[in-house]
Amino acid sequence: MAGRAQILTSPVADVPLARSFGWAWWIALLTSGALVLLLGYTLVTVTILGVGVWGVNIPFVWGFDLINYAWWIGIANGASLFAASLVLRRHDLRTAVNRFAEGVAFFAVICAGIFPIFHLGRPWLFYWVFPYPATFQVWPQFRSTLTWDFWAISTHAIVTSLLWYVGLIPDLATLRDRARNRNVKRIYGVFALGWRGSIRHWAYHQRAYRLVAILVLPLILIMQSTVAFEFAVTLVPDWHETRQPLHFVATGLAQGLSIVLLVAVLLRWALRLERFIDEGDVDLLGRLVLASALVSGYLYLDEIAAAVLADPLTRQATFARMTGDYAGFYWAAIVYSVLIPQLFWLRVARQSTIAGIFVGLSIGIGVWLDRFSIIIGGLQTDHLPSIWRSYTPTLPEWGLFLGTIGLFASLILLFIRFLPVVSMFETRHDEHLEKSG
Amino acid sequence: MNERIPVDLDALRARLAEEHGPRLWRSLEELANVPEVLRYVEAEFPDIVQAGTIDRRTLLRLMSASLAFGGLAACDSGGSSAGAPLLSQSRNMPGYTPGVPLAIATSLDLNGYGRGVLVKAQEGRPIKIEGNPLHPASLGATDVFAQAEVLSLYDPDRSRAPVQNGVARTWEELTRFIRPVRNELVVNEGRGLHILMPPTSSPTINRLTALAAQLFPNARWHLYSPVDEDNRRAATAAVFGRPLDLVYDLAQADVIVTLGGDLFAQEPGHVRYAADYQTRRRAQDRPLPRLVTIETCPSLVGARADERLALRPRDIEPFVRALASALEIGGSPSSDPHPAASRLADDLRRAGSHGLVVAGREQPPQVHALALAINAHLGAFGTTIRAIEPVRPATGEMEDIGALGEAMAAGRVSRLLVLGSNPVYAAPADLDFAALVRRVPLSVHLGYHRDETAMACHWHVPEKHPLESWGDLRAFDGTAGIRQPAVMPLSPGLGVEEFLGLMIGQTVEGQDLVKATWRETWGGAFEERWRRVLEDGVVENSTFQPVDVAPRADWAVAMAAPAPSAGIDIVFAPDPSVWDGRYANNGWLQELPKPLTKQVWGNAALMAPETAELFGLATGDVIDVAVSGRTLRVPVWVLPGHAKEALTLTLGYGRPHAGRIGSDIGFNAYALRKAGQRWATQGIIRAAGERIALISTQHHHALNGEDIVRISSPDQAEVTPDRETPSFYPEWPYQDHAWGMAIDLDACIGCNACVIACQAENNIAVVGPEEVARGREMHWLRVDRYYAGDPAAPKTYFQPVPCMHCEKAPCEVVCPVNATVHSSEGLNDMVYNRCIGTRTCSNNCPYKVRRFNFLEYQGTDFSAAADVFNPQVTVRSRGVMEKCTYCVHRIGAARADARIDDRRLRDGEVATACQQACPTQAIVFGDVNDPGSAVSRLKSSPRNYALLGPLNTQPRTTYLSRVEPAVSREAADAREKE
Repeated sequence: MAGRAQILTSPVADVPLARSFGWAWWIALLTSGALVLLLGYTLVTVTILGVGVWGVNIPFVWGFDLINYAWWIGIANGASLFAASLVLRRHDLRTAVNRFAEGVAFFAVICAGIFPIFHLGRPWLFYWVFPYPATFQVWPQFRSTLTWDFWAISTHAIVTSLLWYVGLIPDLATLRDRARNRNVKRIYGVFALGWRGSIRHWAYHQRAYRLVAILVLPLILIMQSTVAFEFAVTLVPDWHETRQPLHFVATGLAQGLSIVLLVAVLLRWALRLERFIDEGDVDLLGRLVLASALVSGYLYLDEIAAAVLADPLTRQATFARMTGDYAGFYWAAIVYSVLIPQLFWLRVARQSTIAGIFVGLSIGIGVWLDRFSIIIGGLQTDHLPSIWRSYTPTLPEWGLFLGTIGLFASLILLFIRFLPVVSMFETRHDEHLEKSG
Repeated sequence: MNERIPVDLDALRARLAEEHGPRLWRSLEELANVPEVLRYVEAEFPDIVQAGTIDRRTLLRLMSASLAFGGLAACDSGGSSAGAPLLSQSRNMPGYTPGVPLAIATSLDLNGYGRGVLVKAQEGRPIKIEGNPLHPASLGATDVFAQAEVLSLYDPDRSRAPVQNGVARTWEELTRFIRPVRNELVVNEGRGLHILMPPTSSPTINRLTALAAQLFPNARWHLYSPVDEDNRRAATAAVFGRPLDLVYDLAQADVIVTLGGDLFAQEPGHVRYAADYQTRRRAQDRPLPRLVTIETCPSLVGARADERLALRPRDIEPFVRALASALEIGGSPSSDPHPAASRLADDLRRAGSHGLVVAGREQPPQVHALALAINAHLGAFGTTIRAIEPVRPATGEMEDIGALGEAMAAGRVSRLLVLGSNPVYAAPADLDFAALVRRVPLSVHLGYHRDETAMACHWHVPEKHPLESWGDLRAFDGTAGIRQPAVMPLSPGLGVEEFLGLMIGQTVEGQDLVKATWRETWGGAFEERWRRVLEDGVVENSTFQPVDVAPRADWAVAMAAPAPSAGIDIVFAPDPSVWDGRYANNGWLQELPKPLTKQVWGNAALMAPETAELFGLATGDVIDVAVSGRTLRVPVWVLPGHAKEALTLTLGYGRPHAGRIGSDIGFNAYALRKAGQRWATQGIIRAAGERIALISTQHHHALNGEDIVRISSPDQAEVTPDRETPSFYPEWPYQDHAWGMAIDLDACIGCNACVIACQAENNIAVVGPEEVARGREMHWLRVDRYYAGDPAAPKTYFQPVPCMHCEKAPCEVVCPVNATVHSSEGLNDMVYNRCIGTRTCSNNCPYKVRRFNFLEYQGTDFSAAADVFNPQVTVRSRGVMEKCTYCVHRIGAARADARIDDRRLRDGEVATACQQACPTQAIVFGDVNDPGSAVSRLKSSPRNYALLGPLNTQPRTTYLSRVEPAVSREAADAREKE
């Protein structure tokens, strides 16, 4: 049995254990590594000089910092919600995509987590939002959405990393067992937490994995809603809407699914994992993406309907977002995140690598534009016309955005190099089921 | 000492061997207490050996003596006034407590007229300027220029040493050079000597000038001010037979017609006029006065006017002529009278002696003459207007700058002295003053900056700042005030008085010169009176008495108007921020949004929307303006309410050598100014096909709904009350004081004095043009300007917006770290050192009054010198939010005083900086828990409303609606037809 299992999963396990990984991987890593350097540079600049290096002003006190934060959180949420529900439903698809869906979620949380700290005027004091026993006995202000956000994102980071790590443990043990190099064996061994594959281990593992997956579900709603609350609780007419959390959760789910799809088709193509991520898997992912895009579309319609029915101030603000200086972002968001995914009504498109990349990117871009439209365009018509102004991002802001994309790509690249991208134990489990069935 | 002394080890061992017991030794040399080593020491440090051993007491004695003498040496002021007792000095002042600021009463100059101020000096360091309540030109209020003067005092670019042809010289070198020149001039009685100075009301300067004219009878004196009163003087001379000054009493006026100018911002006495007009509006027993403005460029008085008519400069004279003939005053009636003229004539006739017609300084003498005739016809002289002897000599009464130009061109000027003015920059362009000045064999410039004139002259002598020197000034109505120093001179210099004193061989001590002037006037009991005047800042009973005037019969004949040439009309105006250019290097004023355009860091050619449409221009488009062969490239600003087919250019910008802040900003409108047509001319404009990004702090001007600025009528004062909205949070009971503010929009004229006062009081940073362009100006108090109605003739509203100090402050609930919290007296406090800079409070502030330190704004090229900082207010670092505190430090100081006296704080004891500066008392601050306080009385007015009230933030700052007489439909239609 051991021999058979080895053959089954060796394309997956061989990758982390291989001595070299080819020049393409190195080029990709160097490119994304350069972007990480850019990220470091922009973060150091902003820490030394202040957030004035960005295009932010009064009233647009938040720019790319919050746009990118909301965007990355969206990816993290969508991806982990997807992964968790697959685990809970013991869906077939989990074998293929769970591992990197969890990875995508975790890495996106890391990227998102940079922003709430570095967007502060005085980032070195970020820990003041934590209720530590300060000598001056001042506590955080628990009515503030930013305090909620602090708890939400730290919980989110812990749970997402747990989900990813708990799922990895049996495979880490496999890698430990197959590693030839003593040091590599030791490293995998430490992280495998002494996994021996006993039936008791498996039982505990399944319980823990599902427990963490259950934790993810409410968390996703809370996390995205908290981000939305940061806008919804303010008095800004376009933000002050109860539909805001729903909008963030739903568009975030579409975005998370689309990034999972994007990574899935890329990995499938680059690592030749057609056997593990088969056409049925990709097709199912495509259907999910299409469905979530339809939900996004419904929410855009809802937004228009809500604006029409709302008080004049909100109506004016929402219509200003649709027709004002930043209207392009609003309409482009709809095109990219709702209309383009309609391609997936076609089976050919769902199963095509190119179309998968195209739609995956398109939704990612669309939701980013949507966040821009909400955070910038929504502030356009505030209460007093005397302070109506405009916002233009600066180069350091673009650097920050590209930098986090580079960080995300680097983490993915390191992940596929050193860890199994497809769950080996689930694959073996599937094979057994098939055999016995 | 090159000889090396060998250490004799054997000898040492021998000595050690002689010792009994262990001996501790520190060095080989000590050990070797041998003659060789002693010889070495003597050769190396002969003093020590010769002085013998110094015992501890002697050493300490010497050390303490050197320290004490060192301290004494530091006591030398080094300034030229050392030894003269200064009233600002912190020592020797009875009742002076270190740490408590002193108020020094003095006078500041604007265009030769004095405005009384109180300078607040902390430890001998002026930090704030307030109005002098005893002074008629101030009544306790200030304008932006007076407020900003304290920053100019600490201008890092001020001139610090004499300069000869670009090389810095010592004062001794200057004296050595100037003494033979003066001797030679004394001998030849000043032949070839020409002196150019601005006209001033200073009795001392005018006395010294007269003395100098006696000593140098052949010298010629020239007066020049870019913002002159010549046309008014010419008109009074023509109508009444002699030049006179005019003083208006707006508190008596029922109908006021202003013809150009700006009664509330530019006239001598503008602060007082604004106050008087508001006094008149507040008079309970009389109907509201009617203010009608006929002007080319929108002004503050135009914004406040009940009716406003925008006319080209060439159309104003016919209009006034029509108005005069409708009142049956001589002169030929214009052929096509404006329909509004007869209606206005009716209003004036009804007002009778309570009518008033005021002409601005840029109007031609004909308009002034007609205005005088109308006033005389109405019988207004004695009630709303009075004529007084000229407070300052007009430029025309000595020779003007044109005569100087001719003399220089003819080579008759061998010695040129320019005192306290900048003619190379500000002289009419057709004089080509810069080239002429270079042809003078010897030119000396006395000035505060090494400006354009200093660069062109052979010698430049640093001038003292008005806050450092002695002097005197008369106000617009003739009331004299003494200018006394509020600080020891920060760097050596001479005042104009002192320079003249030096010229005529008298003392250079400014105080003695000023005292001498007043000793002549007062005679006996001098010292006591002098001391009282220094305390009050005003000379009692020195106001000029009105003179009786009657128009001459033939005045109209003398005043024929020249026909205007073709082309678009161009008007020049002093700039609301930098005046004639003298304040160009003042960061506070450069960053002050101009009242109507809200433009900062630059000027623009103002034109009407229709004119812009006609030429296909938009704000920011660049045009070439050509006036008789001279061309100037200027950006356009489309200003609603400007007269059609006319262009206004403001003076004061485009200075090549203003300093690190003011150089090369905007365009220099003097380049188009001709000696004969200093205020209005004609030219041709052409689009240049370029664009310039003009910087402004307000981009949208239309009122969004009716609720922001509310309007009520005299008959129906109530504003619509906001409906009660429920709140999750319980009401908080305030046991003691509860601070609040009421801002009367009916009183606000939009003059910006509060904005600069707030900036000076609260150490608010100047961020520079790039940062303002990004929308990051730091003003805690902004004055919003809104337009309503037709863009061609809009209604203009001003609304000062400080922090509202909301009862249910939305900023407080969203701050994650409790950095903005409510105080026990209801203030919304900002705790700078707790702020981590999430900026979410600003997001949730519907009034957007919070300001964020996006970068480190202190210590930049633009930031103010640390000396001007108010020590009571924290200087904020980057990364923290800041906002209006209701001048919480002033509340604290007043509370401390009250506690010392063991009493409750009295109403009126705490005045915020904005309130104190306001000429019209539009801002009132106080305890809303005290039903008798001024602010409570205002808040109980039916006109009281909360800005964005429906949001239920329950702001502590509330507004009183603007009052506009309801215009009947027929009257509106009639005006529409006109």
